[in-house]
Amino acid sequence: MPVSWRRTLQSNWFHVLVLLFLVMFPHLVGWITGDSPLGVGGRPRGQSVFWQLIFIELFIFAILAMSYNLMFGFTGVISFGHALFFGMGGYILGLVLEKTGAASEVGLAAGVIIGIVVCGVLGLIIGVVSLRLRGVYFAIFTLAVAEMFAIYIGRWPVTNAEDGFVLSNLPAFLNPARDRLTYYYLVLILMIFTFLFIRRLINSPTGSVLLAIRENESRAQSIGYNTLIFKLLSITLAGMIAAGAGMLQVILTKKVGPEILTVSFTVDPLLMTIIGGVGTFSGPVIGASVLHLSERIFNREFIIGSMSINIGQNWSLILGIAFILVVMVFPQGIVGTWAKWRAGKKTTLE
Amino acid sequence: MQQQRSTLLMITALFLGLLVFSFLTTDDLGSFGITILSGLFQGMLLFLVASGLSIIFGLMDILNFAQGGFFMVGAYITFAVFHGETFAQLDPNLRFPLAILIATAAGGILGIILERGLLRPLYARPIFQLVLTFGVAIVIGEAIKAIWGTVAYSWSPLTSFGIHQASFSLFDQQFGLYRLFVIGVGLLLIVLIALLLQRTRIGIIIRAGVEDSEMVEALGINVRAVFTQVFMLGCAVATFGGAIAAPFLGASLGMGNAFLLAAISVVVLGGLGSYAGTAVGSLLVGLAIAVVAKFASRPEINQTVWSSITPMILLVLVLLARPSGLFGKER
Repeated sequence: MPVSWRRTLQSNWFHVLVLLFLVMFPHLVGWITGDSPLGVGGRPRGQSVFWQLIFIELFIFAILAMSYNLMFGFTGVISFGHALFFGMGGYILGLVLEKTGAASEVGLAAGVIIGIVVCGVLGLIIGVVSLRLRGVYFAIFTLAVAEMFAIYIGRWPVTNAEDGFVLSNLPAFLNPARDRLTYYYLVLILMIFTFLFIRRLINSPTGSVLLAIRENESRAQSIGYNTLIFKLLSITLAGMIAAGAGMLQVILTKKVGPEILTVSFTVDPLLMTIIGGVGTFSGPVIGASVLHLSERIFNREFIIGSMSINIGQNWSLILGIAFILVVMVFPQGIVGTWAKWRAGKKTTLE
Repeated sequence: MQQQRSTLLMITALFLGLLVFSFLTTDDLGSFGITILSGLFQGMLLFLVASGLSIIFGLMDILNFAQGGFFMVGAYITFAVFHGETFAQLDPNLRFPLAILIATAAGGILGIILERGLLRPLYARPIFQLVLTFGVAIVIGEAIKAIWGTVAYSWSPLTSFGIHQASFSLFDQQFGLYRLFVIGVGLLLIVLIALLLQRTRIGIIIRAGVEDSEMVEALGINVRAVFTQVFMLGCAVATFGGAIAAPFLGASLGMGNAFLLAAISVVVLGGLGSYAGTAVGSLLVGLAIAVVAKFASRPEINQTVWSSITPMILLVLVLLARPSGLFGKER
């Protein structure tokens, strides 16, 4: 046993370091700035609590991007409607919590289960309708269905149309506005769980079939695999994970509104996956970190001498241009380019 | 032969169904006629976006998600040229055609840049082409937002040739002459592009390329050069559509996506890559949108929602009966 433990540690030392850093992070910030990670003066205030919020958002994006990568990176199926699952997860949890009159603990459990199941079924239906045809049909279908839902729910009177509604029926232990540190660790654990789950899945025999479909679907078919079923599995799982991310998001903001269904929650995970590295395990997480942190840092007004440049106004435009550049120049993303560079260095040394 | 007949039957059934439904749900002949005409109008605008989408997909296997963005660019440029300072002293009768011309040219040039600069290096990785056009669509939307802001513009009453205000009456109902003009232009373009595809050398190359582009290349024809021309044509037609729609629809940020989605459902339901399918599909979807919008104009139904969902519902219905679209080849 100890030998295998050491081997696991040796091959994963980087991940373990990152994990240790993330676990310590609220306390580190607290230690440096002197603000307690639990808040200042009994209230969730101060630098540490502020940075916890940013990292919770980052973890949620990472979960969403990993679910996207499961489809796009590992199965080679491209969707332009991932926001659908994210938003539906949030909406269903909100509806169950607020509109059924259930007690908050029961409502939370029921909402999570119903939301994940419904999103899985939704992914299955979209897949069954569109996947038998060529790859573009799936991209079209997901985009169309997501837009349809966004239009419809943006005007649905039950959920207050464009205004959305507030989540007030949350259990006391799960209240990011009161106790953010607990929520920080909860989302961190869920992110690690997602990471390990996807890694386990891809390294399993099922995962090998998914990779085979990405590489050459007709070849995988001719070996005798029913590729449709494996693609459906991938989409259903991705939809369920994205739904979970959407739930975490609405619990964090305590608000459910049509903005969680907008196309930006499709663009962001797509961009994060491509920037980090398509088809790599840590790529989506790294992409989410780069994108979210740089948005936090650059998305404001800069004053250089007498000139002031407001990057925040054009942030989406800059993102879009970065998106095109990455697709053109670094299609393998950060992780892929890094791995290639290291492999190249090794061969030249030998 | 069997399939052709069943296709014809299906199209006739769909059209007749829509017409009968519309006739039964409208109160008088006048509003029935208006509904049909506005359906034609919608269909023509859809055709202008969808035809480029369809030809580009057929020849190059690229689904150009930026097509809606080009439509939007057309509307904004036309609006800016017509209402801007630069040409303000020009006679409005001259200014309007000039605005359309500038917009269409800009669309064509943008199309060339997109194909030559961005898509050409990616032919080996088709999935990234899809991602790239999606990214370009976002950039176009955001660039428009940065230049013109988020406010929706509506056309000022000042017009050229007086066509904007002019209307004629049909069974006591008013119908704008300008919309009739758009219908005419759309029909003309359907015929012109069909002639281009059927009767010219480049049309023959395009049709051959849709069948098998490697074979065309083997015959010593530079297919890549044709790709650029086709891409330019597709983008220019979509921009032209936005330009002539601007006096009626104005210019707003949502119009690109709305037209893209409807156009995509047109192309898919007509059969990806089939020109006839696109033309028929545009008319069908346009008519369906108008009929549903008319039907849903009662207060208890949400009109915007239903008319924007209509193309998708029609698409799903057709795809369930015919998985590769009306005129698509069985795969």
